[in-house]
Amino acid sequence: MNFLLKRAITYLVVFFVVLNLTFILPRLVPGNAAELLASGTRVPASAAVAIAARFGLGQPIYVQYVSFLKNIFFTWPPWLGVSYGYFPATVTSLFMGRIGWSLGLILSSFLFGFLLIYFLGAKSLLKRKSKVETGSLYASIMFNSVPLFWVSMVLLFAFAIHFKIFPLFGSTGFSSSGGLSYVSSVIWHAVLPITVLSLSIMAEGFLILRGSAQDILRSNYILAAKTRGLSDWTISTGYLLRNSLLPLVSILSFSMASLISRVVLVEVVFGYPGVGDLLVDAVLGRDYPVIEGSFFYLTILVVIGGLIGDVALMRLDPRLRINR
Amino acid sequence: MSAKIGILIIACVLGFLFSAVLFGHHSPQAIVGPADAPPSLKYPFGTDYLGHDLLSQVAFGAFPTLFIGLVAALGGTSIGFLAGLYGGYYQRLQPVISGAIDVVLSFPSIVLLILIASLFLASNNLIAISLVLILWATVARGVRAQVASLKNLPYVDAARTSGMSEWRVVNRVIAPAVAPIAVSYFVLTVSIGIVIATSVEWIGLGNVTEVSWGSILYYAQTYAFIRGDWWWVVEPGLMLALVAIGFALIGFAIEEELNPRLRTYGDKFTSENI
Repeated sequence: MNFLLKRAITYLVVFFVVLNLTFILPRLVPGNAAELLASGTRVPASAAVAIAARFGLGQPIYVQYVSFLKNIFFTWPPWLGVSYGYFPATVTSLFMGRIGWSLGLILSSFLFGFLLIYFLGAKSLLKRKSKVETGSLYASIMFNSVPLFWVSMVLLFAFAIHFKIFPLFGSTGFSSSGGLSYVSSVIWHAVLPITVLSLSIMAEGFLILRGSAQDILRSNYILAAKTRGLSDWTISTGYLLRNSLLPLVSILSFSMASLISRVVLVEVVFGYPGVGDLLVDAVLGRDYPVIEGSFFYLTILVVIGGLIGDVALMRLDPRLRINR
Repeated sequence: MSAKIGILIIACVLGFLFSAVLFGHHSPQAIVGPADAPPSLKYPFGTDYLGHDLLSQVAFGAFPTLFIGLVAALGGTSIGFLAGLYGGYYQRLQPVISGAIDVVLSFPSIVLLILIASLFLASNNLIAISLVLILWATVARGVRAQVASLKNLPYVDAARTSGMSEWRVVNRVIAPAVAPIAVSYFVLTVSIGIVIATSVEWIGLGNVTEVSWGSILYYAQTYAFIRGDWWWVVEPGLMLALVAIGFALIGFAIEEELNPRLRTYGDKFTSENI
């Protein structure tokens, strides 16, 4: 319980920091936000005045802060502003409409990445200095440090333009009508992004797994299992992996943040209509409410993912349940 | 072994870039050739949609990107080293600094960078400073773990009981012992830093008029797919990938050297031979 409490406090601090950043940063920008609203965007002047009033822009800063907090905590859905580019859609509705696609990418690439880590680890970790092990080690290092968006661009070029196997952008095609063709279209469009993201997760996780497996490989019980004549596969899965998976899970809650960053970039390359695409579109269109709102919601997503990871960690590792 | 490959890669890339800068005929901003020309003898990297020679663009564009990466890594490693050192050693500082590290690591870094760069005028210095704010936490976490494992070793105890003040113990005994880890983190953060800096520039924040790897890829993202200029996409990214991989390999090799657990042993110690 102590462990979960410490992690929960960390996440509360993160949430608090994000909340205040979302309030402070836009107001640090030189220039009145209402002027920004009225200048050269699609927002008509009358609506700009109304929005400014709801933001409380003419009033002293503490009043603005209170109305900011009220808009987030006491209204449902939380009101973070109205998008300039997609006026009059609110930021929250835009984000929530697209979160489904992003979550699909995140969850499926987590699944595939984890499977890859597991099987690659099981096959290669037992044989030190073999070609499989050093090969997967170097492949992981390379894939961990290479810029993910560039790899996506190259793959897109290769498979969508040159070989014309996978579709060019989006998550569904234009001609799919519902039912099976819709599902297959979704899957077909998602193959490239999920491949890239899974390989990236696999690379990061494999390095961590390798680090923790080195310690375990020297334990007596592994040696005993080998002398008993168990096959490599049994030793790998039953003894080695079971004990070395733990640091991996604990890293998972930290890697949620970097995963969200990677998903954002990959979505932009493939034109996948998720929240990353929304964020970058907003950046290019100077749609400040969407940028700030996305940052806010994405960090909350990271916090939720981290909490889930920590709860899973607590269930898996009994040592963490001791009250110290 | 990985260090040698890493150093080799970086040396080759840097040598190539420097010779392209010194002996190149074209300026990166000048429109010299036909648009959308694939790589040929005259334009070894091809040209982009306006006719800029991509070889000069990639060669000159290396410098802003590498500059940001190096500066951010230096700043991040310095701050991270100090934070990890004092945070790991002094009991009173530990919750504060560990908490700060956890909080910083829980933010999606690129999203934060996008936010900052879009709200304020994005320049190289802004990106570098924001990167420092993000990168210090990774370094600090590793250094803190190392300090924690060293803190109770006999020789440190001996230093303490021999009358050294805590301040001297930290600075004279522990700091030199963790310095090699900090070096490996420095190299790794250079690798991370240039990739993140290029990602931010590729989105369009950052100075798109200045030639850098990120801005080349920014224009490539918009125009290359339609025009089928695969070389425009491949080349700057390949340079970036090679440099990032090179630094990552060096950093990994240093870390492996220092951490006997991670070493891949020679044949004598494989599990088959026991």
